[in-house]
Amino acid sequence: MPILLLSTEGGALPGPFQPTPALAVWTVLVFVVVFVILAKQLFPVIVRATAEREETIKQQLAEAKQMHAEAQVALEEQRKLLAGARSEATALMAEARTAADRERSLAVEKTRAEQDDMLARARHDIEAQRIRAIADLRREAVDLAIAAAGKVIGQSFDGADDRKLVEEYLGSIGKSS
Amino acid sequence: MSVESEQFNIGEMMFHHTADAHELDFGGYIIHLPQWEPIHIAGMAIDLSPTRHVVFLILAAVIVLGLMWAAARGIEKARKDGVAPRGFAGMMEMIVLYVRNEIAIANIGEEEGARWAPFIMTLFFLILVANLLGLIPFGSSPTGNLAMTGALAFIVFLAIEVGGMVKLGFKGYMHTIFPKVEGLSGAGAVAMSLGMAPIEVLSKLVKPFALAVRLFGNMTAGHFVLLSLFGIVFMFSNLGIWSAGIGLVTGAVVVGIMFLEIIVALLQAYVFALLSAVFIGMMQHEH
Repeated sequence: MPILLLSTEGGALPGPFQPTPALAVWTVLVFVVVFVILAKQLFPVIVRATAEREETIKQQLAEAKQMHAEAQVALEEQRKLLAGARSEATALMAEARTAADRERSLAVEKTRAEQDDMLARARHDIEAQRIRAIADLRREAVDLAIAAAGKVIGQSFDGADDRKLVEEYLGSIGKSS
Repeated sequence: MSVESEQFNIGEMMFHHTADAHELDFGGYIIHLPQWEPIHIAGMAIDLSPTRHVVFLILAAVIVLGLMWAAARGIEKARKDGVAPRGFAGMMEMIVLYVRNEIAIANIGEEEGARWAPFIMTLFFLILVANLLGLIPFGSSPTGNLAMTGALAFIVFLAIEVGGMVKLGFKGYMHTIFPKVEGLSGAGAVAMSLGMAPIEVLSKLVKPFALAVRLFGNMTAGHFVLLSLFGIVFMFSNLGIWSAGIGLVTGAVVVGIMFLEIIVALLQAYVFALLSAVFIGMMQHEH
């Protein structure tokens, strides 16, 4: 059996429950060598790459946070500007509406005044025309009456007294009617 | 049972495969290792001749260095290309970072943890590969030898105590042996502190002892279970058709146990590294 080989050279080695001092010494030596090589040469390379990536990610996160904060500030400013513009627009609209109302009232007032003026003038003209027409009509009536009376009596009534008489008569008719 | 016996002896087989030896056995092909004269230190003769476990320990170290070298190369190339490492390098980076961040830094602290990380990572990877070497055909696990686990525990013990002394100063370190007793002063405090000292010293020694025995026990037990199952196949090899059935069932169980052993190998490396980090962290932050 292979276990014979344990005792072939240099005596039997201990079993699994008995430690061999040589292995302990070798373990310390090997561990120190591996530790030094890994700690000095290899782990720094592995960790450096990660540290750099972590640093880059941290930087990008910080930049993103800063940009986010800046965007928030800008957004707040925009909101304020928008609110200001909105209230300004409302004020302007109210002012414009007031001005328009005022202008419209003034225009209406002016138009009404002009209209009244025109109406007054028209009334005055009509009155003047009426008076003139009545006067003309009366004169014509007098002339006709004198002429008619002259034909009836066969003599002319063209004296000033006759005319006055007829006019007074016509005047009395006008008053009685 | 005598080795000359023709009958299969499961105990001998288990001891043969788990014990250290001066040769490498590749299924009957034997390579005898050189034997050197013992060196004498402080009246003790220490035989430093390479043994099977020493060979596999060195093989584990070479594998660890090779893996890390390949990973570092891949990671450095990816770094120069400005991309994240992929494939093997990416996987190794993930493991290294896990050990660094989740074991070392999480238990020792941000600043001290980063400084102790290479030590913890070396422990983890060396133990992991040494554990796994026992699962390959004709392989042997040096962590199944109390000498290796004891030596690693001794290194951790030195790291805890020396690191603690450097961090806390001599006076601070002495308080970890002679603790300050809150609420007491004068002779009572001194008496209580002196009374606590043996317990504190014992506590310092128990931690590495537990580390060594836990790793050794788990790895050896795993091998014993596997070898016992293998032994069943040989023990019942003269039962005709039944032998084939027993062989098949046992083979299936062995495959299952092998997967379990892979998990145990990973878990024990993790536990050793984690507890080392916890003990170092406790000492570093001792008040």
